[in-house]
Amino acid sequence: MKKSTKKAIRKLNRFTHRDLGYFFCALIVIYCISGIALNHVDDWNPDFIITKSEIDISDQFPVSNPTPADIMSISQQVGESSYKVYDKPTANQVKIYYNNATLHINGYTHTAVYEEVKRRPVTYQANVLHRNSLKGWKWVSDIFAVLLITLSVTGLFILKGKKGLRGRGKWLVTAGLLLPILAWLIFELI
Amino acid sequence: MRYRTLQQTTFAILLSAVLFACTSPKESHSDSTPQQKIGVLLVNHGSHSPTWRKALTDLDSVVRGRIMEDGTIQDVKTAFMEYTEPSIATRMRQFDSAGYTDVIIVPIFLTVSSHSFDDIPTIIGQKEDPQSMETLKIENIERYQAKAKTHITPLLDFTNILQKNVLRRYKNLVPSDSNIGLALIAYGDAGYNTEWSALMDSVGQYVARNTNMTHYSYNWCGHIAHYNPDSTTIAINQVLEREEKSAVIPVLVAHDEMFQVKIIGNGINKVSNYEQRVLYKPDAILPDPNIEDWVVNIVEEFKANINTSESSVAHEEIN
Repeated sequence: MKKSTKKAIRKLNRFTHRDLGYFFCALIVIYCISGIALNHVDDWNPDFIITKSEIDISDQFPVSNPTPADIMSISQQVGESSYKVYDKPTANQVKIYYNNATLHINGYTHTAVYEEVKRRPVTYQANVLHRNSLKGWKWVSDIFAVLLITLSVTGLFILKGKKGLRGRGKWLVTAGLLLPILAWLIFELI
Repeated sequence: MRYRTLQQTTFAILLSAVLFACTSPKESHSDSTPQQKIGVLLVNHGSHSPTWRKALTDLDSVVRGRIMEDGTIQDVKTAFMEYTEPSIATRMRQFDSAGYTDVIIVPIFLTVSSHSFDDIPTIIGQKEDPQSMETLKIENIERYQAKAKTHITPLLDFTNILQKNVLRRYKNLVPSDSNIGLALIAYGDAGYNTEWSALMDSVGQYVARNTNMTHYSYNWCGHIAHYNPDSTTIAINQVLEREEKSAVIPVLVAHDEMFQVKIIGNGINKVSNYEQRVLYKPDAILPDPNIEDWVVNIVEEFKANINTSESSVAHEEIN
């Protein structure tokens, strides 16, 4: 290959890496935040802040057949002045629905759980993209994934010499590859 | 001659006017009271697994003929609540486009859960549960308030079909006259743990009454258990503390590789000496002729009451 062609390819590689890096900086950060959040989905709710408070219910509350007046009265105990609907999941439970909250009355325990739902800022918005909650976004994320591979591969050829791929680069790439290989081995052995 | 033509024309116009006058009220009458058109929507949880979905579409195929036999029900459709099309919204929109006035929704769900009690009514606009609405939005599940009246039937635990189903599967799995223990593995629901536990107890006790089995246990494999195989292992070990062998029955609607193979299967593999001590078949509740009969009967019941029932099971605030 001609020296000038090689130089042109290197230049193109450098520009591609630089500009893709700038362009995808925001998306990479968003996906990383969402990735961390979703990694711990068993330990917390990365999408919503659910506030629960328990109140005691009088033994007199007619769980099996409450009237709208009973529902209104208990709603006022949790600071709600009106309700949308109420329904009975089982014979001994009542659930009341408000604008942004619910009250779940349990006749077995004579308690009720008042639950409010709010979106968790930042991680909710990040997860909207990561989960493809927006219709059609999967195509954007597919293109993003392909270009992220391009960003990674072009990064291998930025430097030449001792600090390039032929030098320390090859050892670091191999070390990075060992991490998933080790994980697969552990998975198969356990 | 010209006078005669004029007479004939006048007579024709008058006759048309009389005929129009006679037919108009009938037409306007039929416009004001449209004919009732009832459809049935079998709603299930949905799954990425084609095997799982096929079991539900097979149920649709088997019951469709019987449900539509007398002509009152004009169509039967199946909808998947999550993951794949046709969704509930898609199906309800199709019913609306075809001019259906009433849709009987049959949830193919075992017992009460946030899906059956909150999500499905929220999707069809009967309720506005704040948590459901937010979850449905982020999970890209469309909500659609149908023009047709919607009538949701009770769940499968309304009858003892599940008990009979598990008994049949237990008998098929274990040699007759043996007293092999039983571990039941179901999806579970954090919000309705008492009801799910009661259902599993009722199933376990039913099998015990009708066989030589004396010890049973149960545990969850769904979201409540973080889809972790360890819950299955715990349930089996509880039985094996008292019995030499344990049968494992998945109390799941249909076969999904993720559940019956990966979660429950891996849970079994963690039991020591499982090849000798555990009996397992990765089957599911479906297919079951009793469930088919239940679907047909519950639709029959709702069809009979449809003129008098209201669309919502929930009580709306009148103010």
